[in-house]
Amino acid sequence: MTSIYRLKFIALLTIILGSHAAFSIELSGTLDPLEVRPTLVNPQLSLPTKLTEVYVASPGEYFAPPSVADIPNDKYGDMVRMGRDIFVNTQTHAKRYVGNALTCQSCHLQEGRKPYAMPIWGAFGMYPMFRNKTRSVVTYEQRIQDCFRYSLNGIPPSIDSPEMAALIAYSHWLSRGVPVGVELPGRSLPALKRTEDPSPQRGEIVYATRCAMCHGDQGLGKKSADGSTYTFPPLWGSDSFNKGAGIFRVRTAAQYIKANMPLGQGFTIADQDALDVAAYIWIQDRPKDPRVGYLLDFLLPRTGAP
Amino acid sequence: MDYLRKRTLMALSIILMVSASSFGIASYYIRFHNDAADTAVLKKGQLIANTGRGGQPACVNCHGASGEGIRAVGAPRLAGLPIGYIEKQLQDFARNPLKMGVTLDPIAHDYNKTPRVQVDLTTLTPGVRQRDVMNAVAATLSTQEMHELARYFNSLSYNFVALPSDPETLERGADLALRGKPEYGVPACASCHGVDGQGVGAQFPPIVGQAPEYIIQQLNLWQTGARDNDHMALMRNIAEQLTDGDKINVAAYFANMSVSSAGEGNAP
Repeated sequence: MTSIYRLKFIALLTIILGSHAAFSIELSGTLDPLEVRPTLVNPQLSLPTKLTEVYVASPGEYFAPPSVADIPNDKYGDMVRMGRDIFVNTQTHAKRYVGNALTCQSCHLQEGRKPYAMPIWGAFGMYPMFRNKTRSVVTYEQRIQDCFRYSLNGIPPSIDSPEMAALIAYSHWLSRGVPVGVELPGRSLPALKRTEDPSPQRGEIVYATRCAMCHGDQGLGKKSADGSTYTFPPLWGSDSFNKGAGIFRVRTAAQYIKANMPLGQGFTIADQDALDVAAYIWIQDRPKDPRVGYLLDFLLPRTGAP
Repeated sequence: MDYLRKRTLMALSIILMVSASSFGIASYYIRFHNDAADTAVLKKGQLIANTGRGGQPACVNCHGASGEGIRAVGAPRLAGLPIGYIEKQLQDFARNPLKMGVTLDPIAHDYNKTPRVQVDLTTLTPGVRQRDVMNAVAATLSTQEMHELARYFNSLSYNFVALPSDPETLERGADLALRGKPEYGVPACASCHGVDGQGVGAQFPPIVGQAPEYIIQQLNLWQTGARDNDHMALMRNIAEQLTDGDKINVAAYFANMSVSSAGEGNAP
């Protein structure tokens, strides 16, 4: 009996060491191109991210926006393309309305398509909507104006401007097939579990270990190789969103961080860590809320507290 | 903008004081000194790259005479890559993967149970890359020599000519490179490597100007775990979600761009 178990033990050891020795296990045969290749066929040595519970996105669960290649070649399509240009390269195509270095897709990730990153297709069918922020019913156009006023720290484009028309056209095209007034899965941001009070001190540690490599030690973002645009957007400082933005609220920022950060590893961070790092970002300097003057900005308590 | 004004005033006053006393002398000395030291580093790097050492093959054998890479061998372009990136890769090649954070219990006491593999979860692995040739070569290099080699290859000029592909492949490649796969949680290549794939800093290398075979090969290595040296497994998690078709499309897309650099011109 013992010898059999020893054989099994040796066989197991062989499999474990096999990934590193010369006789590694190779995948053979052909793969269905639509099938995602399982990676853990060979046991791995380092396992920093496999320990947490990973949110599994199942395809088909979320609304799938149309492909960019399918934008029609007519006047409507031209408007959609212009809207996409503004959405992706806001600094180039809507420069006169923007007061910082962000773009629309700095927050609405992957051209406004990513679920739980405030996707455009999740919002378009929900407006007009009552907002607590303004205590009134706002239209989709007015909501876009708020994006420019607060998150882009700029001057809102008027409702009849070509930029606004283009953005509406892009949103309309991206939301083709979306039912009106229905809350789709993946819309807006996910809910957070109730936790203890966020601590910026703990958040500083989370920031240094998980955020600083991309967003920089000082949170000022990192620019592309030619220095023209930010590849990693600034989280605070004069190039970032102002104190009136929705994501300035600690809870909103924590929800966003939980679902989307680091890129490609959404839902791997604990709710408490997300809240902590959001509080750390909240205490940093950034442009003032345009709704209050300089004196009140200095005197009033900060908005957006947890 | 109060904080900006305060900081600007402080910075201006400090700069004035320092520059009045020592800027003229110090800057010339530092520049001259750095130039001489840099030239020495470049020369040493060139020597190792061209001749190899102690029975190990020279870098230029596989990576080309000016670090342009050789497609047939599967060796990537090194010319113009960031210094920090080359250094880190050499350090990771030099590590022995088997000595990293894992201890096997030599005697399994209860044979009815799975033999225990103890992994120290508090220590993140500094990263390993398993390639037989490069493991052997990098193990013979000192840290200083790694820096010299990185500095030398960083200074070289390169010219990558775009490789043609069919429009359908390029369209799919562009879709993945610019938009990723949102429904799977896969970010776009452009969101970290830059819109043109030029890379950002030492952590995010350029992927434009590399042969498509090399990009596919690396994505495969990320998937099997033979390359495992990224911060927080960022790239590994992304590569895991790519299908074989995705790899072909995206590699064709980035290889479809011409990219060149004049280098520094004054390399010895």
